[in-house]
Amino acid sequence: MVRRMSHGARAALFAPLDQTGRVEAVTRRLVDAITLGLLADAEQLPAETDLAAQLGVSTVTVREALVALRQLGLVETRRGRGGGSFVRTPADSPMAPWRERLRAVSLADLRDVGDQYTAVAGAAAKLAAERSSADDLARLELAAEDIRAATGPAASRAERHFHLEVAAAAQSPRLTHQELLLQGEQGGLLWLPITHRTDDRPDDRGEHREAGYAVHAAIVTAIGHGDGELARKLTEEHILDAIDRLVVLHLELIDP
Amino acid sequence: MDDTRPRPGDEVVAQVSGIVEGVFAGLKPLLAAAETLLAEPGDTTGPDLDRLRPQVVEQLAGLVVGAGFIAAPGLLADQEFGFEWWTASGGGTPTQLFISLDPTSEYFLDYTRQSWFTVPRDTGRRHITGPYVDYLCTDEYTLTFSLPVNGAAGFAGVVGADVFVREFEHTTLPKLRTLAMARDGRAALVNAQGRVIVSTASRQATGSLVRELDIPAWWTTGEESLACPGTTLRRCGDAPIALLVTAD
Repeated sequence: MVRRMSHGARAALFAPLDQTGRVEAVTRRLVDAITLGLLADAEQLPAETDLAAQLGVSTVTVREALVALRQLGLVETRRGRGGGSFVRTPADSPMAPWRERLRAVSLADLRDVGDQYTAVAGAAAKLAAERSSADDLARLELAAEDIRAATGPAASRAERHFHLEVAAAAQSPRLTHQELLLQGEQGGLLWLPITHRTDDRPDDRGEHREAGYAVHAAIVTAIGHGDGELARKLTEEHILDAIDRLVVLHLELIDP
Repeated sequence: MDDTRPRPGDEVVAQVSGIVEGVFAGLKPLLAAAETLLAEPGDTTGPDLDRLRPQVVEQLAGLVVGAGFIAAPGLLADQEFGFEWWTASGGGTPTQLFISLDPTSEYFLDYTRQSWFTVPRDTGRRHITGPYVDYLCTDEYTLTFSLPVNGAAGFAGVVGADVFVREFEHTTLPKLRTLAMARDGRAALVNAQGRVIVSTASRQATGSLVRELDIPAWWTTGEESLACPGTTLRRCGDAPIALLVTAD
């Protein structure tokens, strides 16, 4: 069957873009969508004119972005009847495009994304502590358990799902929407299923996972106790830790 | 309660009860269609759910902005998860909802953890979930009304209808305001967990929890009303919603 994406995520994907750096922005958004699995392998992209209209850019911009995607091997274009542009999910190394993005990102931008994400997720955690019912807490506990159990891309999904649940527990559609938008674009970098040096030392993986679980369990406990300030503080520190890991990784990836 | 004299808040209680019973009654034809479909000989598949479309789209009127059938995992022969869900608001064209149904997908969200699914499954009874942020569907602040659907092997899923909290507020706030003014205080509608759905007081905002009273504990007693100094709490008929009036 056709893989279907979240309504909110799809809305974020096709939200209008700023007019600056349009080709790059369109390319990046589509690269993200493909590597994150928002667009499924072999899924047909909308026609160039439709895509342009949805993203609020010119057809020429979309065409150039598609050229870039073809060069990255993420899109295949077939001509003639039944033709069009089709997604090609990289089979061998799904994280390779992320590494490329992490290499290309600037630390200034990373800090800025971190600031915005901290504002959104921190505020959501504080409000969740004030407003969570027993049901909300039960779902947060399940979401934290998922993080303990998950590895690789599933860990990234579990992490993002946890923060989505916190925003929902805050009873705020707007914070939830912000969370989804950030997860769908730059913020997606934050929860990459790659962690510092674990590629070299596989033994660290389990340890890292337990530590990650402990942080989330502590956030849930603070929310359960109605301690908004602590929930916010733990969430902010958690995000800063994620940024720290990305900065270290970025420094390892940049060309000498 | 034997006392049948009119009480303050009767109008609010009657209106809320009417809205709730109306939404649940409206779901009955969809429930019947779903159970008929599942009772047919042979396997039910994802595409078969399209046949529920007329009864689903029919729901989208009045306060109801989303509706459909959600299958229990493993019910369908060709896919683990599945549903037929449509949305339309403000008289707009109905749109079918598509979300990730592939558990291995990066964006899969497990709907079997949502109260609108678990409560009818576990209790066999109707339920109103929310107010809550419906991040699976519209990302809006929502009340979801759901009923269990039964198949040959028991619980087979739920049929449900969504009402946006803001529309529910537009409908109920005028009478609440009149009541609050008459009682020289504030009036609110809260759910069984004590979460505020609509309120006349900005410091008792929609989505916040009432902490002064243990409403979940009171709810389990089955009492029709609760009166303590300065505060009255009263069920809106059989709806899992109560009217809370507080003197300022």
